[in-house]
Amino acid sequence: MATRKKSDESKDKKKKKKKSSAGETKAEKKAKSDKTSSGTKKAAKKAKKSATKTASGTKKASKAGRRAPSKAGTKAPAAPAPTRTRPTSHRTRRAVIVGGLRTPFVKAFGKFLPLDTIALGDAATAALLERTSVPRDVIDGIIWGGVILPSAAPNVGREIALDLELPPSVQGMTVTRACASGLQAVTTAAAAIERGDADVMIAGGSDSTSNAEVKLPQKVVHAMAPLAFGKAKGPRDYLQVLAQLTPITEILPKMPKIAERTTGEVMGESAEKMAKRNGITREAQDALAARSHSRAAAAIASGRFDREIAPVHVPGGKVVYTDDIVRDDTSEAKLSKLRPVFAKDGTVTAGNASPLTDGAAAVLLMSEEAAEKLGMEPLATLTSWAYVGVDPRDQLLIGPALAMPKALDRAGLTLDEMELVDLHEAFAAQVLSVTKALASDGFAKERLGRDKAVGAIDDAILNVHGGSIAIGHPFGATGARMVTTMANELHERGAKRAILGLCAAGGLGAAAVMERV
Amino acid sequence: MSDDLFLQLSGNPRAKKLIQSLGLPLPMPQPLARRSGPWEARPLADRSVLLVGALDGEVGRAIAGAVVRAGGDPISDAGLPALDELGEAWGRPRRPLADLSETERVDAIVFDATTIATPAALRGLYDAFHPHLRRLRPCGRVVVVGRPADEGDATAAAARQALDGFTRSLAKEVGRRGSTANLVVLQTGAEARLEAVLRFLLSERAVYVTCQPLHVTRLAANDAEPPSTRVLEGKTALVTGGARGIGAATAKQLADEGAHVVVLDRPADAKPASQVARAIGGSVLLQDITDPDAPAAIREHFAQGGVDVVVHNAGITRDRTLPKMKAENWDLAVDVNLGAVLRIDDALLADAPVLNEGGRIICLSSVAGLAGNVGQTNYAASKAGIAGYVARRALDVADRGVTVNAIAPGFIETRLTAAMPVMIREAARRLAALGQGGLPEDVGQAITFLASPGSVGLSGRVLRVCGGALVGA
Repeated sequence: MATRKKSDESKDKKKKKKKSSAGETKAEKKAKSDKTSSGTKKAAKKAKKSATKTASGTKKASKAGRRAPSKAGTKAPAAPAPTRTRPTSHRTRRAVIVGGLRTPFVKAFGKFLPLDTIALGDAATAALLERTSVPRDVIDGIIWGGVILPSAAPNVGREIALDLELPPSVQGMTVTRACASGLQAVTTAAAAIERGDADVMIAGGSDSTSNAEVKLPQKVVHAMAPLAFGKAKGPRDYLQVLAQLTPITEILPKMPKIAERTTGEVMGESAEKMAKRNGITREAQDALAARSHSRAAAAIASGRFDREIAPVHVPGGKVVYTDDIVRDDTSEAKLSKLRPVFAKDGTVTAGNASPLTDGAAAVLLMSEEAAEKLGMEPLATLTSWAYVGVDPRDQLLIGPALAMPKALDRAGLTLDEMELVDLHEAFAAQVLSVTKALASDGFAKERLGRDKAVGAIDDAILNVHGGSIAIGHPFGATGARMVTTMANELHERGAKRAILGLCAAGGLGAAAVMERV
Repeated sequence: MSDDLFLQLSGNPRAKKLIQSLGLPLPMPQPLARRSGPWEARPLADRSVLLVGALDGEVGRAIAGAVVRAGGDPISDAGLPALDELGEAWGRPRRPLADLSETERVDAIVFDATTIATPAALRGLYDAFHPHLRRLRPCGRVVVVGRPADEGDATAAAARQALDGFTRSLAKEVGRRGSTANLVVLQTGAEARLEAVLRFLLSERAVYVTCQPLHVTRLAANDAEPPSTRVLEGKTALVTGGARGIGAATAKQLADEGAHVVVLDRPADAKPASQVARAIGGSVLLQDITDPDAPAAIREHFAQGGVDVVVHNAGITRDRTLPKMKAENWDLAVDVNLGAVLRIDDALLADAPVLNEGGRIICLSSVAGLAGNVGQTNYAASKAGIAGYVARRALDVADRGVTVNAIAPGFIETRLTAAMPVMIREAARRLAALGQGGLPEDVGQAITFLASPGSVGLSGRVLRVCGGALVGA
C-alpha cells in the first residue's frame, strides 16, 4: 500500500509540474530563474562552510569512533550554528528546552475541582517562572495546548499571561490537537524560535475534565434565540418556545463523553478493537499497567519527580503536593480482577486505561543564544517531529507507529539509536499495538515502504518513570509532561537521544525526537 | 427502488416470518446488501473471509492482499508468509479454521484452485465447500480462482473447465440467499492483476455479478499499481445516453470516483442530460450518435486532453417478430446499438488517437441479446455483434494499455421493464439465481469497475450483470 501511495504521489507531482510549467508566463519564468540562481549562490557558500566544518567533525568523530553530528551537538552548545550532516541541517538556529514543570496530576472531580483549565495553566506557568527565574520581560509569548477549552475564553495561552500579570507584550495563543495538544504547543514554540520569530517561549498545556462545560442542546439554543435577541414579547411567545422544546428528552443537557465525532465510538471501544485486531492479551495489558504504576511510584518515592512537579494551592487553603492516581500497591494480580468496561468479553479495564485527570504542564524554550545570554543551562533540543493521520474507522490509535518512523527519518536516526522511549499510555492495548507494529517486518513493508521493521523497543527504556495510565492524562498537558520528563532524564542519565510518541483522537499520531544538548 | 412485491415482503421481517410459518409457496428473494457512494479504502471492514485451497506463491499473495488490504479478517490454515505479514501490518491476524465454532458464519469464501490439474484433484472443492458452505452469511461471496483450460495438457483442461460448471452450479445454490459465486480464470503471469478483480467481486458493489467466469489476462499492457480509492482521479469519461437510467447511474458513479464526465445524449434530451451533468459537476455534449457527423464532432470535443473512459451506453429496442418488422426498425436498432459504436471508436482511435493510453472502452451488450429472444432479431444481432467486436478490438489496442469490454445486463428494473406484462416480468425476476431483478446502479458499479485502472486484466470479454439469469451466455 505504501509503495502504491508513493507512486501516486510522484505521479501527482509530475502532473502538477507539467501544469505549472505550461501555465507560466515568460516573465514569471525569468523571475523564477533569477531567484534560483541567487539562491544557489548562497547555498553554495553555505555548503562550502559546512563542508569544512563537517570535515573536521568527521576527523574527530572517527577518532572517538562516534558519529559526527552528535559530537558537534553535545560538545559545543555555545556555537552559533552547530553543523549537522543530517537532514535537519537547514536549521540555522536551535531551540533548546531549559526547564519544565507541572502541577500534580489528580483524579478528575477531586482535589482540583475549583481550578479550571486556565487556573491550572496559571499554576504551572507561575511555578515554571519561579523555578527557572527567567526574567519576565524576555518572554516573547505563550503557546498553550488544550482540548476542553472554556468557551468564554478559549485562548488559554493569552489568559495565562494576563492572569500572571506578565508584561502586556507577552503574546499568547492556544492550540488544540486532541491528546497531542501539549506536544503541538512545544513544537510550535520550537518552530517559532528556530524560524527567528521568537527568542524565549513558554509552551505547555492543561485540561480540567472536572470543568468541562455541560452543553445545552442546539435545539434549546435555537428555540430560545428569539427571546434572547428579539423584542420582548408576551406570555404567548414564551408558550410557543416551550412548545418547541418537546419532547423533554431531546433538550436535556448531555454529559460530555469522549466519543469520536465521525464514528460515534467511545475511545475505549476503539482500544478494545485494537486489542483484538493486534492480538493483545489482557495479561499483557495488565502487566504494562502494573509496570507503569510501580515505575511512577518509584519515581515519586525517590524524589525524581520533585524537580518537575510544583505544589498547587487550591482555593480554601489546601495544598496539593503530589500525583494522586499512582498506586504503589497495585499488581498484575489485583488488576486482573477488574471487569472490562467497554465489551463483555473485552480486555480494556479501568486499570489498564488512562483515567480522566486534571492538571497542567509547562516548558520553557529559548534559542541557544538566548540561553547563553541568560546563563541558563539547556537540557535538550527537539531534533525533529512528525504528525500523521490514520483512518479513525480502522485503528484509531495506531498513529504513533507511523509518526515515529517519520520523525526518525527526518532526524536521520534509527530507533535503536534511541536510549529512551516515551509513549503516551492512553490505553495499554494501544501502547502494545504500537510497539508490536514497530517491531513487525510486515507492517514496515506494507505501510512504511521499508524492508525491515522499525525496531523492537526494550521494556527497560520504555516509559522509564511510568506513563499516562499511572500518572494520569490531562489531555492538553500530557505532551508537555513527556517533553519535561525526557529532557530531565536525558540530562540526568547523560543519555543522548529520546523519542516521544502520542496518539490522539481523530486518528492522529505524533512523535518527536529529542537530543541532549 | 423496484416495485417487486415479494422482495419488499422478504425485506420485512414480520411479513417474512408470517409467510414462512404459514408455509405459503411464495418466492422470498433475499434483499441484496448494496453499497453506494465512492469506493472505500476498506470495503471488507469487519467481514470474515475463509481462504481455502492451494494459497501459495503469487496467487496466494494476491488473494491475501485482496482480503487483508480491503479490511477483511482472514480465516485460513495456509502457511502463507504474505498472509501473516499483511495481517500484522493491518491488524488482521489470520485465524486458523479450527478457531471457528460450529455456528460461526463467514462473509465470503475464496478458493485457490490454480493448482488443480486432474479430475481427482477436483475432490479438493468438495472437501473445502462441503463442510463450510453452510457458514456463508446471506449476501455472501464465493470466488474460485483457477487457470485457463488451454494452459497445460488435455487432463488439465478437463479439470480446469470443470471449475466453470462447479461455480455456476454453486451460484444457483447460494443465489437464493442473495450470495454470488464466480470463477476467476487467471492466466499465468497475470497474478499481479488479480487483487483488484477480487476486491471488486468480494465487495458490495458486485451484488448482481454472479454465475460466470472472469478471465484475467496479460493482454493489455500496464504494470502500474492501481489505486483503490478515487480510482478515476483526473480522468475524463464519456457516457453516451447518459441522461437516464443506466447511463445516468453510471455517470454519477464515475464522477464519484473523481472522473470528469461528459454526458452525451440526443439534442431532444438536452434537459435531463444537463440535469445529470450539473448534479455531478460534469459537462454535456449533445449529439445524435446516428448522425454521420457525430463521430468527428465527438473526436473534436476531446481533441484537448483526450478521453480516458468511453461508455457506449446509448441503445434502443425496436421489437417485432421478423415477418412484421419494418426495414427502418431493423436499420435503426442495428445502427444505434452497433454501427454507431464502431464509428465513434474508429474516430477516437484513428491516427493520433484521442483515446488516451490506459484508456477504457465499455460497450453495452445484453443477456437477452446473447441468448436470443422472440421479436428481438435486430436487437440480438446488434448486441451479439458487440461481443464479437470487443473481442477483436481488444487485440488492436492492447499495447497501449487500453481495454475493451462489454457489459451484458440481465433483468434490470427500469422504465422499460416496469412496462412489461406482469407474468413475464415475474418469471424474468424469479428465474435468475438471485431471484430478483437488478438495479441500474448495479450495472453502473460494474461499468465503473471496468473503467478503473484495476480492471486492466480484463479485456475483450463480456461481463454479465444478470444475477445468474437462467439463459447464461
